[in-house]
Amino acid sequence: MNKELLIETKQLQKKYVTDTVETTALAGVDLQIAKGEFVAIMGPSGCGKSTLLNILGLLDSPSAGSFKFLGQDITHASERQRAKIRKQNLGFVFQSFNLIDELTVEENIGLPLAYLGVSKAETEKRVTEAMERMGIAHRRNHFPQQLSGGQQQRAAIARATVSSPSLILADEPTGNLDSVHGREVMALLTELNEAGTTVVMVTHSPSDAEYAHRIVNLFDGQIVTENLNVRKHAAELL
Amino acid sequence: MLKNYLVITLRNLLRNKVYTAINLVGLAVGIASCLLIFLFLQHELSYDESFKDADRIYRVTSTVQKGDQTIETAAAIGPLAQLLPQEYPEVESATVLINMGQNAIRTDEQAFYTDNIIYADSNIFSVLDFPFIVGNPSTALKAPASIVLTSELAGKLFGSLEAALGKPVKYIASTFLVTGVIDQTAPSHINPGAILPLHFDAQTEYYVTDWNGIGGYTYLKLHKKEHAAPLQEKIADLYDRKATPGQSLAGITGATFQLQNITDAYLDKEKEAPVGEVGNITYIYIFGVIAGFLLLIASINYINLATARSAKRAKEVGMRKAIGASRAQVIQQFLLESVLLAIVASLLALMLVELTLPLFNTVTGKTIDSVLILSSELGMALLVIVLFIGIVAGSYPAFFLSRFSSAEVLKSNQTPKSGNALLRKGLVVAQFTISLVLITGTIVVYDQMMHVRNTDLGFDKEQVVAISIPSIGWVKQKENLAAIKQEFRRLPQVVLTTNAQQLPGEGAVKGDYLLEQNNRLVKKSINTISVGYEYLDLMGMKLSAGRNYSKDIRTDEQFRYILNEAAVKELGWSDAIDKRIKPTWADTANGTVIGVVKDFNYTSLHSKIEPLVIQLDPHFGKLVVRLEANTPLAATLSDMEDIWRKYFPGYPMDYSFLDESFHQQYQAEEKMLTIFTFFALLTIVIACMGLFGLASYMAEQRTKEIGIRKVLGGSVTDIVVLLTGNFATLVVIAIVLAVPVAWYAMDTWLQNFAYRTELSWWQFVAAGMGALAIALLTVSYQALKAATTDPVKALRAE
Ligand SMILES: Nc1ncnc2c1ncn2[C@@H]1O[C@H](COP(=O)(O)OP(=O)(O)O)[C@@H](O)[C@H]1O
Ligand SMILES: [Mg+2]
Repeated sequence: MNKELLIETKQLQKKYVTDTVETTALAGVDLQIAKGEFVAIMGPSGCGKSTLLNILGLLDSPSAGSFKFLGQDITHASERQRAKIRKQNLGFVFQSFNLIDELTVEENIGLPLAYLGVSKAETEKRVTEAMERMGIAHRRNHFPQQLSGGQQQRAAIARATVSSPSLILADEPTGNLDSVHGREVMALLTELNEAGTTVVMVTHSPSDAEYAHRIVNLFDGQIVTENLNVRKHAAELL
Repeated sequence: MLKNYLVITLRNLLRNKVYTAINLVGLAVGIASCLLIFLFLQHELSYDESFKDADRIYRVTSTVQKGDQTIETAAAIGPLAQLLPQEYPEVESATVLINMGQNAIRTDEQAFYTDNIIYADSNIFSVLDFPFIVGNPSTALKAPASIVLTSELAGKLFGSLEAALGKPVKYIASTFLVTGVIDQTAPSHINPGAILPLHFDAQTEYYVTDWNGIGGYTYLKLHKKEHAAPLQEKIADLYDRKATPGQSLAGITGATFQLQNITDAYLDKEKEAPVGEVGNITYIYIFGVIAGFLLLIASINYINLATARSAKRAKEVGMRKAIGASRAQVIQQFLLESVLLAIVASLLALMLVELTLPLFNTVTGKTIDSVLILSSELGMALLVIVLFIGIVAGSYPAFFLSRFSSAEVLKSNQTPKSGNALLRKGLVVAQFTISLVLITGTIVVYDQMMHVRNTDLGFDKEQVVAISIPSIGWVKQKENLAAIKQEFRRLPQVVLTTNAQQLPGEGAVKGDYLLEQNNRLVKKSINTISVGYEYLDLMGMKLSAGRNYSKDIRTDEQFRYILNEAAVKELGWSDAIDKRIKPTWADTANGTVIGVVKDFNYTSLHSKIEPLVIQLDPHFGKLVVRLEANTPLAATLSDMEDIWRKYFPGYPMDYSFLDESFHQQYQAEEKMLTIFTFFALLTIVIACMGLFGLASYMAEQRTKEIGIRKVLGGSVTDIVVLLTGNFATLVVIAIVLAVPVAWYAMDTWLQNFAYRTELSWWQFVAAGMGALAIALLTVSYQALKAATTDPVKALRAE
């Protein structure tokens, strides 16, 4: 493991304070993720997986601890800075796809490029490429509601990758899909990872976790075990 | 079930506080405006309604020919009132009265200037039964030295009304005994201040004896309404038999008559020489329309907000249907909800009206104590409004909401679409179009008012004081006026003094003249004012030819005239000086024009400057004084009052400043402008409240989308622009629609003025930009709130 670190967290904590209760979602997480890795985060419901992923994705900020992204400490970065890092480096895939209902597939996929200020011609080229890679080019003018779940998730992955991010964060990407479409999505993520993109994925499914290099097990907001995926590593070593 | 509906409704209203507040405030203001307009309308239409048998009391109005001139007048000709009941049995009773205008009514202790002093024959109370508080109507005007007072005047003079009866009061040079006190609260267009017998003054005799002149105001009570139309013809025949047009000093060559029901008299502003008060129905229309608009805008808010949040109610509807409710029942429920809202809004509106009543009373001169004790008419009006809002505004949301099928709503996790977005957009555009037209209107009206104020009037109205001279018998009056003019003049603060029967702004009287045209004398009716020496100098008016009146030229008091340029132009004279002119009644050969004055505004800026004849009369009219600039007013007036008391002891010095009284003719318009501005602003406030609610639902509905956009890198600015952009487009469309409407409406309005401001682009730009700015400000609050919420929360929410 001599690769450059993409993410490094120290004693990451997250507390949610509501009117009456204080929930500790993360209770001191130390995690390092290198460039090019494929990491799966597993654990029972409510153990803090999504919370961790959102912090790694700069959607949320920790209550305590530190967080370095590409060697830069961004624990206390402003919303503006975080938005900038987000649109330049990150892609998101959600369990519920989170496509915008009022926009067509093509417009949905083009959105990150619009926020990056990419020219129209360039946007069209890259969106077409992304759609073709995901096999949904023939659906470009459809609205999300008109697609099947698998197609929607492929559109979401296309959107997550269209800006060529260095890190893709996926929160239970197969949660709403049947097993055939689930395997399809996992194959796509693996393909992206093999092409050099770092992938961090939250999942319940042991079979999905099999695709990752490393599995992080979370329990009550803490990492309990970190396993290297022997089969994957073996394949890499070969 | 009803209870269940009520509970649900109340909980919904309480839970969605912003939604409820927007609807309640908007509807309450709209309803309150409608109620006020209704009260106002009711007041304006109630004039003369309280006379017994008002439906068969008629005023005889006349259409008088003077050569090729036609005059519509509220007065009638000659002794009709005397003759009609004798000649025609269908006339039950008749009376004639004249209005002597304002004068002082006094006791030894105090004096009060009273408007509309009426001289009437003794039949007046059998036709017009003004309610007597004390006294006997059938004998009140029988004795020549009797007077009937209003309760207001009697109260001021004598303290109690009972004490007034039989007491002496003085008017001009005579003493009268109070024979009755009437209650003047019920509105009547005659609006008498005091009523005296017609025959005490021999000078007024010709009003009721001369068949060839315009006489008094004649009122008839007929046995049956149906008699009115045929009687008109009969009166015309009678006139033709009795009149000898060749002998008419007023130059009357013919006349026809109309019987106008007394309840129509007040709102008839076409007739010349109205009796007392004349109403203006145009304002009622304008405010009626504005109140309607307010209600419409508030109803649109209700429709928009109810459908926008329909997604939230869909589950409830689905549930109700699943357990067996029919669509009709669901519709019923939502209609009930809107009616309930309208009822609560009405209660608030009644409270609002109650609070604004004092203001309303000062504007209308009405004395409504409270609207909380509903009159049956007001109750009906309220009921109509409640049903209108409840059913018209409530039905679209009700039909829309009741469409959700239970299967769709309950099975899928999808939230149903929130109503017809296009309809909502259209309604918002309609709201803003209305607001914009009103706001542009306000700006134009304001601009016109300023224009009117700054127009050169042709005279200097500052520092001029006018003082009414009490009628104390014409010999004494003349002497005192001459003396007091002299004495005032000696005060160091006084520049000049003169007298005038009509001051600028008070108009003129029509005079009939024979004038030289192509070496012949032609007859013409021309506006005339009577003024003293030095009037032109005092007013700062300029001569463009000839000379001013001079005390050194003896003949100036006899048929020497100064005309304005408009008159000279109309007569086509190249040189006006020494042209012949004389009143038709005068038996003289040497009337001449001695000067031409530059045009000045002697009526109002509504009308162009008409031809004018100025005649010299140094003996009568108001006393006019020009003060030095920057004189301390209080001290000067008190010096003047010291002198006044020597000549008119017991009479208050009733003075006014010319600039103020000239300005007063625009007071009605300015009052209307204030009200107009207020309502125009209200419409935009209510429209923006709706927008606020709509924006909040829009933001709520788009929470997920906003979350996604932020996750993908959209900045706060991006999101705010995205959300406000939609609304901005709507306002821009409204601007495009409003400009031509406002342009047309205001251009039409400005045609009423002879001196008018130009419509200009800035008025429209100001209104448009203002509305846009207010709308964006309203929406951006919600947009900013939405754009700064945590995207993680937004996406978790499902
Ligand atoms: N916005 C929030 N407010 C309060 N508690 C929260 C919030 N988000 C998450 N939690 C709590 O934090 C814990 C971890 O949540 P989460 O990270 O969503 O779990 P997981 O994704 O592993 O199921 C849970 O107990 C959850 O109830
Ligand atoms: Mg989760």
